[in-house]
Order: sequence, then C-alpha cells, then structure tokens
Amino acid sequence: MRTRSYMVGLAFMSPALVVLIGFFFLPVVLTAVFAFTNMSTSTGISGGSYVVTGNLLTALKENGVPVEIADALSKASFVVDPEGIAKARDAGTDPAFLAEIEQQLGGRTFTDERLFERELKTLQHRPRSIRDLKLAVDQFELSILNSRFTSESAARQAIATFLPSAPADTVDQIVEASYTGWTWTTANFKQLFSTSDTWRIVLNTVFYVAVTLSFTVFVGLFLAVTTFYLPAGAASAFSMLWLLPRITPIVLYAVMWKWFTWEGGFLYTAADALGLPAFNYMKGSVPTAWTIVIMVNGFIGAAFAMILFSSALKAIPVQQLWASEVDGASRWQQIRYIILPHLRWPILFVTSYQTLSLLSSYQEIWLTTNGGPGRTTTVWALESFNTALNSYTGNLQYGLGAAMALILVIVGVSLSIIYLRLFRFDELLGRPKIEF
Amino acid sequence: MTVASFMKSATLAAALLASTAVLASAKDVTIKVWAGGTGPTNDYRIEAIKMAADILEREAVIRGEELNVTVEGQTWTTWDDFKQAVTLAAESNTAPNIIVSGHEDIGTWSQSGLLRPVEDYVDFDAWPLNQLYPNLIDVASFDGRVWGIPQDAESRPFFFSRSHMKAIGYTDADIEALPGKVESGEYTLYSMLDDAKKMQDAGVVEPGKGFMPRPSNGTDYWQFYQSFGGEMTDRESGKLVLDRQALTDMYQFFVDAVEKGVVPATYLGTTWDSWHDAVAHDKAGIWHGGTWHKAEWETKWGLKDFFGQMQYSLIPAGNEKGRANTITHPLVYLLSTTGTDDDATIAAELITIASEPRINALHAVKSGHLAIGTAEAEIPLYANDRWTTVATEALLPHATSLPNDPDFGVVWKAMYKGLEASWTKTSPVADAVSGVESEIKATLGDKVVIR
Repeated sequence: MRTRSYMVGLAFMSPALVVLIGFFFLPVVLTAVFAFTNMSTSTGISGGSYVVTGNLLTALKENGVPVEIADALSKASFVVDPEGIAKARDAGTDPAFLAEIEQQLGGRTFTDERLFERELKTLQHRPRSIRDLKLAVDQFELSILNSRFTSESAARQAIATFLPSAPADTVDQIVEASYTGWTWTTANFKQLFSTSDTWRIVLNTVFYVAVTLSFTVFVGLFLAVTTFYLPAGAASAFSMLWLLPRITPIVLYAVMWKWFTWEGGFLYTAADALGLPAFNYMKGSVPTAWTIVIMVNGFIGAAFAMILFSSALKAIPVQQLWASEVDGASRWQQIRYIILPHLRWPILFVTSYQTLSLLSSYQEIWLTTNGGPGRTTTVWALESFNTALNSYTGNLQYGLGAAMALILVIVGVSLSIIYLRLFRFDELLGRPKIEF
Repeated sequence: MTVASFMKSATLAAALLASTAVLASAKDVTIKVWAGGTGPTNDYRIEAIKMAADILEREAVIRGEELNVTVEGQTWTTWDDFKQAVTLAAESNTAPNIIVSGHEDIGTWSQSGLLRPVEDYVDFDAWPLNQLYPNLIDVASFDGRVWGIPQDAESRPFFFSRSHMKAIGYTDADIEALPGKVESGEYTLYSMLDDAKKMQDAGVVEPGKGFMPRPSNGTDYWQFYQSFGGEMTDRESGKLVLDRQALTDMYQFFVDAVEKGVVPATYLGTTWDSWHDAVAHDKAGIWHGGTWHKAEWETKWGLKDFFGQMQYSLIPAGNEKGRANTITHPLVYLLSTTGTDDDATIAAELITIASEPRINALHAVKSGHLAIGTAEAEIPLYANDRWTTVATEALLPHATSLPNDPDFGVVWKAMYKGLEASWTKTSPVADAVSGVESEIKATLGDKVVIR
C-alpha cells in the first residue's frame, strides 16, 4: 500500500521532474562540461577535423618540426599519370575528357593548380561547368595540404603515406596541431581569476543585486501596506496598475522606458522645459544609467513582492487589528507591531528568491543600457551571455562564457543553502505545532 | 475505337508523357542568403543574387535545361545578432548557402569548417571575376586559399562641418587644403581636438558635440590605433601584433578629448539615431564615419548638399609615429558547407553573376560603397557619381584592412573593452592597456606578438 502511494506520488511529480531535468539539471551539466573546454566559434561545438594548412606548417617550423618535412608537406603537385587517370575515371570524369587529358598532358607534372586548370581549359572536351573541371583536377593532386580529415587515424595515415620518412613523433606533433576542434582545459577559470575586469564586474553585480533587492522589498512592502488600508475597489485598481511592469512583455517594457528616458522622451522634454540638464538619461551618465537599470528591474520585482505581501496581509487575523485600534494604536504602530511580524516569512522568501533571480537576470539590462555607458552597468550574467553568445567581432567563446555561467550556478546554489539555513525555511515548511 | 480516335488518344498520351519528361528534368533549387549589417540602402546584397538567379535560369533555358532557383534572403541590421545566427545555424546544419559578412570572419569560420573555399567553385580567369581588384581578392583570402568573393568595398573618412570650420576662422581655401594637410601629417588628431574645442567655445556647436566619433564598437577604432603607429600583424611572421605604445597613445587621445570637453565620458553607447541626427543636420563639428553613410544621410536624414555641407579626409595621424589612414572593410559572399555540392555550385554561379559590374554598381552607388573591379569603375552609373569616384581615387589608395586571422576577434574584443574602460575613466589608461595585454596573453599566449 505504502509503495503504491509512493508510486502515485511519483507519477504526479513526474512532469515536474521531467521539466527539472530538462530545463535545469541538463543545462547545468552541459554548462559544466562546456566550462572545461576551449570551445569557441573557431573550434565549433560538434567536433573538429584534422587540416594541415600553410599557416600551421609555418608555426610548426617555429616549434621544432624539421624544415624539410614542413616544406615537403606545404608543396602541392598535380601529376598526369595512369594512377591519376584511373582515379578520375572512378570519380566519374567524362571518359572523352580523360582520354584527351591522357593524350595531351600525359606524363606532365604541375606545381601550380591554376596553371593545370588553364591547360585543361584548352581541351576540346572540357566540361561546361567549372566545378566539374576542378573536381577532375583534384583527382591528379598529390598533396595533403588543406585536406580535411575527419579522424586522427586518417590524418596520420595520409601524412605517413605522403611522407613515409617522417619520424613518428614529428607526425604525432603535426597531427595534434592540425586538430581544429575543441580540447579540455582549465584555462577559462585561470583567466577569470587573473584579470582585473572580473573583479570590476563582480562589484557591479553585488551593487546591482543589493540595491535592486532593497528597492524591490521596500517598494513592494510600501505598495502592499498602503493598498491594504485603501477601500477594496481602489486597492484593486492600484494593485492592477502596479502589476503592469510584471505582466508587460519585457521588450515592450524596455521600449517604454526608452520613450521615457531618451532624447525627446518624457523626462527629457520635462527637464528641458524646466531648464534642468536634459540628455539621454539611460545612456548619458553613469548615475542615471544605474538608477534606470535599478528601477526597471526593481519595479518588476516590486510588483511580484506586492502580490505576495498583499496575500499575506489578508491572512492576518483581523481581530488583532481591531483590538489594536481599541487600544489606540496608530497606523504606524499597527504596521510595526502587527503587520511586519506577520510578514516575516514572505519578506524572507522575496529576499532569497529575488537575490537569485537578479543574479541570473540580464535581459532587462541588455535591452536598456546594454551594460553601458562604456561597460559601467555590465553585470556577471550579461557578461557571460555576451562572451558566449553575443559578440560584435563574431568570436563566440562558448567555453569561457560557460565557465562564467557555472560560477553563477555555484554562487546561486551556495546562496540558496545559506538562505535556507539562515532563515530557517525548514520551520516554515514543517508541520504546524498546533492541531487544527 | 476508330483509327482516328486511337491516333488522337495516342498523340495526347505522347504529349502528356513528353510534358512529364520535361517536368522530370526540371531542377528546383532553393538558395538561402543571409546578410549582416544590411539596411534598406544595402538591399542589393540580396537583390543582386535574385537578379543573378533570373539570369542563371535564362541561361539554363538556352542550354535546353529547366532550372528554377528560389532565393530566400534574410538581412540583419546589426552584426552581433547576425553572427550569432550564422554560427548557431551552422552548428545545427541549417546555415544559409550564401553568407554575406565581413571578410574578417573568414579565418574563424574556415577553421571551424563552416565554409567551402570559393576558389573550388568559381573561375577567377573568366569574366566577371577576372576584373576584380587583386587587393580585394587578397582580403577575401586566408591561409593561401580564396574563401570569398568581394561584395563591396569602402573607406572610412573623417568629416568636417564646413560652416563650423568657417566660424572658427577657416577660409574656403583652407578647408579645401585640409585633406592634403591631413594626408601629409601636418594636421593631426590633436589639431582636430583644438578645432573642435574652438567650435564649442565659439558657441557654434553644443558642448560635447565638437567631436562625434562612432558611437559603438567598429572597425573604425583600429584606424586610431594606426594613427598612433599601431600595426595589427607582423609583416615577417604574419602573427597578430599588439603595440602597447600605440594602444596607450590611442586610449590617451580619447581621454584627452573627454578632458577637453569635446566628447562626453559616457559617449560610447550613444544611439545611432542621435549621431545621424547631429552629423546630418550640421549640429556636430567633426566626426568620422563611412563612405556609405552619405546614402543614409540623404535618404533617411534629409541631407541635401553633401559636398556643400561637409569636407572629408583620411583619419589624421595621431603623432609622428603614426600616419593618416583609413580602413576598408569589404563584405564578401561566402559559401557555407550546408547543402549538397550541387547547391554550392549553383550558389557559386549566382555569386559570380552578382559580381557583374553593372549589377554590383547598383549596390555601390545606391549604398555609397566602392567598386570591386576595374570594369565597374567604368560603368556610367558609377563613373558619373561624384562621391564614389572621389572616394575611390582619394581615399581607397590609402586603405588597409583588418587581418583575417581566426584569433583577431579576441584581440579586437579586448581592445574595445580597454577603450571603454579608459574612455569612461573606469580605469586609468595604463591599467586599461595592461588589462588588454593580460587578457590576450591568457587567451592566446604566444600567438600574439606584444610589443
């Protein structure tokens, strides 16, 4: 019976578990894997290949590969011999064209691909398509330069076949260096801990989270308490108004802030009319940029806090308020001695939930100041996103960005544990001490 | 059934069969083209491919084939979103067949296997590719192979407001002589700061609008690095170079500009619309932009008399170590590894036809870009356009380009981060330069020569 009830419970939980695994555990695991790699746009995600290029051979010469081996690998030649003809025939080259090649160019060797192509273009049976002509040229090539090998063994074998005299350790060195894909590394973390930029972003993040959190809690509390004392109809209307930041789509919400704060916007026009400094407040100065970032996020959080606090206020036994009024308590005394003690758990919940939420949020900043002016309002989550997925120069550093995200996950989980301990959430979730 | 009716049915059946045979030989191909940094004035980056598809289909008909090419174009006005889209699409094998991007992406994308070398699909000995400027083909090459076909070229000039220059004492003759003085090194970036300050002091431009540089990251900032003697690659080894002194002088220049009050410390991140509004409506003193901006100012911002309102020159030298310069940042048509080899062959044919001088001239003149080949410079539409001709003759010969090295993006990102930190005075110049150096060393090690 007990097993059955456990199974039923598990069945009810299964959708949540699937979501948790798919949208939390799996991304975290993948982030952790990516964080220990040098994955970037250059290396790709799905794996690389082995390519010996001219630049690679130049670099290898500097790193001890004998010059004669590097030079031999850097040469390409095109030999019109029976072997090449047979290869071209197998690849489907037009027999008439091949016969002409054999007749006119048989036994010749070309060191320049372009010259060989030009010779082929003079033949009567040349293919109409330049692509077909180039495919025919490839069949006569004796070189591994710029060929992409999908496996290490294929690359090793190609080099050994092309250059049988090359020592094994040199071949190993060339094959290893020719890999274009990603490799495992801890360099991302070393880089993060060694640059001063990291600490500047950490400070920005701490400032942003602390100030926005305070704003959220105080404004949320203020709204909940003030609407609590209003008549029901007016309270509902005000609550709905203050919910707008939460329910408005984020892009629209950001655009509205731009209309409000940019040149020609409401604030600009008003300040200009009053003779006050009028400029783009969102991007034109560091203090105003921070103020706007904090307000943009703070109002979203405050709306969330207001709902929680308002519902908690409704649960306060109204007799306690009546009794306090009989005793002559002022509104402030009611708030201080009745309402705030009752709101302890909701305040703690909002504090911990919003801390974690703010730590990982970047979209509001991205859509408003975009971390500027300069990089003064850049926070950790935004920098992580920009590093991994959003770069003007096109080089997306997935590995480094994932390392930043992993640090954020570790900080978030650690803070969760601290909050659970510090605020004794187990008591909140424990069985009631009195019987109902 | 009579013989006549039988014959009629047989003829009809034969006709039907024949029509299906024709239909069966018809080839339908869909070619996707994605272009970055492309707005309404640059629409010929995609339109040219559509025109090419029409020509290719007509050529096929003449050869007795039926070819239906559907071109699906998509554009992005920004670069970061576009590059993210291309990179992630490539990882999921859904990249477009043709990518129109900056040439500096060739290094990174060719290494990751995203690109096919275009030289394997086109004939550089045949028209119209045999008349392309060789230096533009070099820009589209990396590691000994040609990866792209140049789509356009440009240069990035300095601009001066003629009326504001006159207001601080320049005569018409002085203004005409200015480009020459810039080129010779007589008029430097610091001379420019002095003039910008004078304009503000004279009250002809608002404070903070004396000098209006590009408001966001871009190729342009490497020009200032070159103005102070910086080099991006080592000529001997071909390795990337970071010149500490040039970087220091460049950062210091922008700090000095802030201290003079001609540009705000919080300038970077200003909206493009504010910038266009100021420079096109003669509210700014001196600024720098691209040759293509003229088209935007005229079509979108109502600029009527470009030559009467603005003077242009190279980017002035910063000190005696540097030189007046400009950077050309050609966009290139690239072939992705997505799709079959046949698709790539058709895509390459489309790119080749789109490079016809007459077709490319439509893009060049409409968008304020420069010709990609000698024959295009002789097309009347192009040759009779004053701006493209002037820019080709006066600016392009001095143009350099960014390296195609796959690691250049890391150096670029670090350079701009350092510029932001020093410009906003978040870090002193020396610390910003050290930050750039340590980031590059940590990421790239000895792949970059730090001088």
